[in-house]
Amino acid sequence: MPAVIEVRDLTFRYPGAEVDSLVGVDLTIERGDFVAVVGGNGSGKTTLCKTFNGLIPHFWSGEMLGSVHVGGTDTHESSVAALSHQVGYVYQDFGNQLVRPTVRDDVAFGPINFGLTDHAERTEQAMAQLGIEHLASTFVWQLSGGQEHLTALAGVLAMRPEVIVVDEPVAELDPVRAEETYRMLARVNAEQGTTVVVIEHHAEFIARYARSVVLMAQGAPRWHLPVREALSRTEELAEHGIPAPQVVQAVRALAPAAPVPLTVEEAVTALAGDAVVTSSGVSTSGAARAEPTTTARRGPVVGRLEGVTHGYRDVHGHLSTVLDDLSLTLHEGERIAVVGSNGAGKSTLLRLLTGLDVPRVGEVEVEGISTRSTSAARLADHVCYLYQHPEQMFLQDSVRQDIAMFPQQRRRPGTAELVEEILDRLRLREVADRDGRTLSGGQQRRATLGIALAMTPALLLLDEPTSSLDVGTRRDVTSMLAALAERIRCVAVATHDMHLVAEWATRVVVLHGGRVLADTTPAELFDDPDLMAAVNLVPPQVSVLGRALGIHPPPLSVEELTARVAGPVTAGVR
Amino acid sequence: MARKQRDVVSVEWVKLELLRTAYATRGGLLSRRDPRIVLGWYLVFAVVPWLTHNITTLAVLFGLTAVAVLVSRVGPLILGLFVIGLVLESTYLLLLAWLFDGDITTVLSLVTLTLKLGTISLASMAAFVSLDPEKLSDALISLRAPALLSFGVSYGYRMLPILMTEFHTIVNGFRLRSAPLERRGILGWRAVVRLSTTLVQAFYPMMLNTAKRTRTTVEALETRGFTFAGESPLGRDLRLAYLRVGAADVVLLAVTLVLVAAAFVTGAQVPLFAQAR
Repeated sequence: MPAVIEVRDLTFRYPGAEVDSLVGVDLTIERGDFVAVVGGNGSGKTTLCKTFNGLIPHFWSGEMLGSVHVGGTDTHESSVAALSHQVGYVYQDFGNQLVRPTVRDDVAFGPINFGLTDHAERTEQAMAQLGIEHLASTFVWQLSGGQEHLTALAGVLAMRPEVIVVDEPVAELDPVRAEETYRMLARVNAEQGTTVVVIEHHAEFIARYARSVVLMAQGAPRWHLPVREALSRTEELAEHGIPAPQVVQAVRALAPAAPVPLTVEEAVTALAGDAVVTSSGVSTSGAARAEPTTTARRGPVVGRLEGVTHGYRDVHGHLSTVLDDLSLTLHEGERIAVVGSNGAGKSTLLRLLTGLDVPRVGEVEVEGISTRSTSAARLADHVCYLYQHPEQMFLQDSVRQDIAMFPQQRRRPGTAELVEEILDRLRLREVADRDGRTLSGGQQRRATLGIALAMTPALLLLDEPTSSLDVGTRRDVTSMLAALAERIRCVAVATHDMHLVAEWATRVVVLHGGRVLADTTPAELFDDPDLMAAVNLVPPQVSVLGRALGIHPPPLSVEELTARVAGPVTAGVR
Repeated sequence: MARKQRDVVSVEWVKLELLRTAYATRGGLLSRRDPRIVLGWYLVFAVVPWLTHNITTLAVLFGLTAVAVLVSRVGPLILGLFVIGLVLESTYLLLLAWLFDGDITTVLSLVTLTLKLGTISLASMAAFVSLDPEKLSDALISLRAPALLSFGVSYGYRMLPILMTEFHTIVNGFRLRSAPLERRGILGWRAVVRLSTTLVQAFYPMMLNTAKRTRTTVEALETRGFTFAGESPLGRDLRLAYLRVGAADVVLLAVTLVLVAAAFVTGAQVPLFAQAR
């Protein structure tokens, strides 16, 4: 197949930077390919992709050596405007890419600017292709994250480019929405032969959708391989911050000779032949897991919602019901994951517990104090809420001041020592004097956790603490959450991240239609595919694989799966 | 006092009212007209009051724009603020006039000024509550305003709800993480001081967060042909192709001009307090 992008001996340095961001890059991307660009933070992935549409060198005028050809055109001799007919770019923070008030107007922005007479047709077609026609006259600020992403993508598709670059779609989207984006990209790729380049951390998506993988390291591609071959290099990928998909890890551990699986089905085929479930492992493990949630063992009550109904008025004056006669009790020592599809009321539930809002009907109590009887500021002595976007928590000039703010303002004794201890514990010392906004995603999460620790609340509430983090950093946050237990009586997390649920939670509250649809454990949740489908959740691969192999309740980690499955040796004995 | 969820006179309500006003969600007579005609209509009422001192004429003009405000479905927040402003201003001018030994002449000239300003304010409310951001920016492009101005208008509207939410979130952050007030002070002066300082302090994180966002926006504008459109007339014609002045638009302007003329005729026929001139 002919090449659509050819990069030859490319070296680039941002203006004012001390080192080259790209070093001697040689890369060919074939027309119609679906390429995943992977690599650690700062490996030059995004910089590389910005050379495809001419932003480098025309917009970012650094020092550039070598050449980039897109569809035969030398980008150096072209312009960003001309290249945008060939290459479309969807940013990681795609919300900021939308510049017009309504969806249709935004999708048509490019075609109209370039004076394309068939702009109306292009706009309608792009929206139809992504299934967002019904949103055409919606204001962009009314869209959910997933809808925003599809709108940004539609704006790119309306230009009918030969190449689409998507920067980390999973970062800001929940997995179900990201899946949707990937399905759309695969469709455009198959139907129109559009070349797709994604920058991606999540090996599961790479395995299922990409055809080839480029590994970037220190500003240059280490290799460019077909996807199966690329994923078989598990150690090398893990070194660069991309842990292999769980199915790959499981098959590696249980049937090393089998080919690398790209999907759960392939893994089942690989394992079904020679792996056997040890029957004893099933029953005991299942019983052991279920036990801590029985009511007899529950600790004292920390937070309580009783018959709570709440909703908001929208811009047209309609009152929506977000929570509908909901009752829930949070106990000491519990790690609660609140899950449910977008708009199920997860954030509303957490907000009501902070006392920022009081419910329209019903009672909310934290440590026995009704939120109606006191101000949110006083309730902050008992409960702390961490926003989804960490930058909204940075109110002071430095991380240290932000952590110290709460205890200092309330004149709590021992503030200075507490702040220093938190800085050490969360490994924030070297960034303590910087503004929180300038930190990396993982550091920002740690800093907000620091703010929470300094508040020493009884109840800690977190909204999507692992969103927009790469896999390695996500692990980091999960283990920090686990370590909070000794300081905080109860932690509740609203999340879409089923890996976090599997690895951290002891109790899962499933919200749907404003009510508690299920109050269960992670293992039981993943063992109920109907429930998962009803609330738009995707279980971790390893749980699906475990179920397919007949393990109930399904395993929550690869280690658990391998422990509960007898390997090929046992199978031979049988 | 037990806290309750309120749907009016709460921060949430103010946010929604501003959005309803900015995005013309309530519809109304003027919102169905061509935006250039609406701007023209507004200009008539912005200029005409300055051409007369006749109180009758001004009162009729004031009445006309008041009717326009009603048929344009201006929301209670904006209207309420206007009425409060008008009443406060009149009271304070009357008090001043009385304190400084003014007579009926002073009062009348103050009434003239108030009527003029009131007419213009009412007309602006009626016009801008009827223009959604797209229409307004397209009207500006069509009237050959600089591209940056018209884009700025539409982008400003797009950012408005985001900035409001962000600002509210940050103010809430300050509320939660500052120490609660022990005493509110006489007339709650401590609470007022606290609120004012918080509003100022919250501004800084909000601007930093916004500045960080616009980096992507600027790049995206480049790739989506914004600069290109500034240099080429093709896009402009396409964007404005939908703008059409119809019969109803002409009728609107004609009726407006007739009514304004009628206001002047009435003023000449029945001059109220003309001796004051």
